[in-house]
Amino acid sequence: MSPVEEESQRANAALPRGFAGLWLLLLALWIVFNASVAPAILFVGLLAATAIAWIFTTRTAVWSGVLLTPGTLFHFLAYTGVFVIELVKANLNMLRYVYAPRIDIHPGIVKINLRLRSPIGRLALANSIALTPGSLVMDIDEDALFIHWLDVRTTDPEQATEMIAGAFDKHLGKVFG
Amino acid sequence: MAETIGSIIILAGAFFHFSAGVGLLRMPDTYTRIQAGTKASTLGNILVLAGLGFYHPDWALKLLVVAYFVLLTNPLSSHALSRAAHAIRIPMAPSTVVDALTERNAARAEKSGSS
Repeated sequence: MSPVEEESQRANAALPRGFAGLWLLLLALWIVFNASVAPAILFVGLLAATAIAWIFTTRTAVWSGVLLTPGTLFHFLAYTGVFVIELVKANLNMLRYVYAPRIDIHPGIVKINLRLRSPIGRLALANSIALTPGSLVMDIDEDALFIHWLDVRTTDPEQATEMIAGAFDKHLGKVFG
Repeated sequence: MAETIGSIIILAGAFFHFSAGVGLLRMPDTYTRIQAGTKASTLGNILVLAGLGFYHPDWALKLLVVAYFVLLTNPLSSHALSRAAHAIRIPMAPSTVVDALTERNAARAEKSGSS
């Protein structure tokens, strides 16, 4: 058995990686939905959160990259801030196009580099791109995203990456790896 | 007072929804229409939910969760629609300048054909 496998075996013996984060998230959602912390409701929530978090962290690797640390939390909040600003900018941009007397756009599909490795990080990046100024994810490769761009300003992958994903990449990389 | 603020925010949200509708009608091709629909309706939804939060402050957390669900699902559906549209070769607007995805597909087909 290789050292890497050995290590993952040892981790499995305790709690699966990412278990605590997912468990907390599920429990928080449950309490919000019920708007109550009565013992019976809390008990059912604990049971369900434990079961679901256990299944998801042992059967798939999707959550294992997300670890709960202060740094992660900070970058998640920073990402949310960047995201809200970009979302509002996207909408004002869209209003400008929509109400222009003549719609003058040069759409196209460009390729950008994808630096994130974890599946959930990629999902977050793709979703963020879809909600930012004039870009929409069309397809995904090993190391590239194909983006439909409402107003193509450059076809160079490096520059396009910086313009479309630059704002999110840094924070998401820190959170999801 | 809170209700007035809530109403104004909901009205702003409705305006974004209306703009999404206008965008759907005015944009030149499928993909740009999907873009118009996705973005404006997402912010519109969030504003309506936020306005509702002013009416019922005790719903605030639930509304926040709903807003997150909208943020998660809205881009996914637009991605699925546009990807399917491209896969069945729905034409792009004449003003389109570049299509890297078709180039990629062509290169891939050539590769599998030659090997």
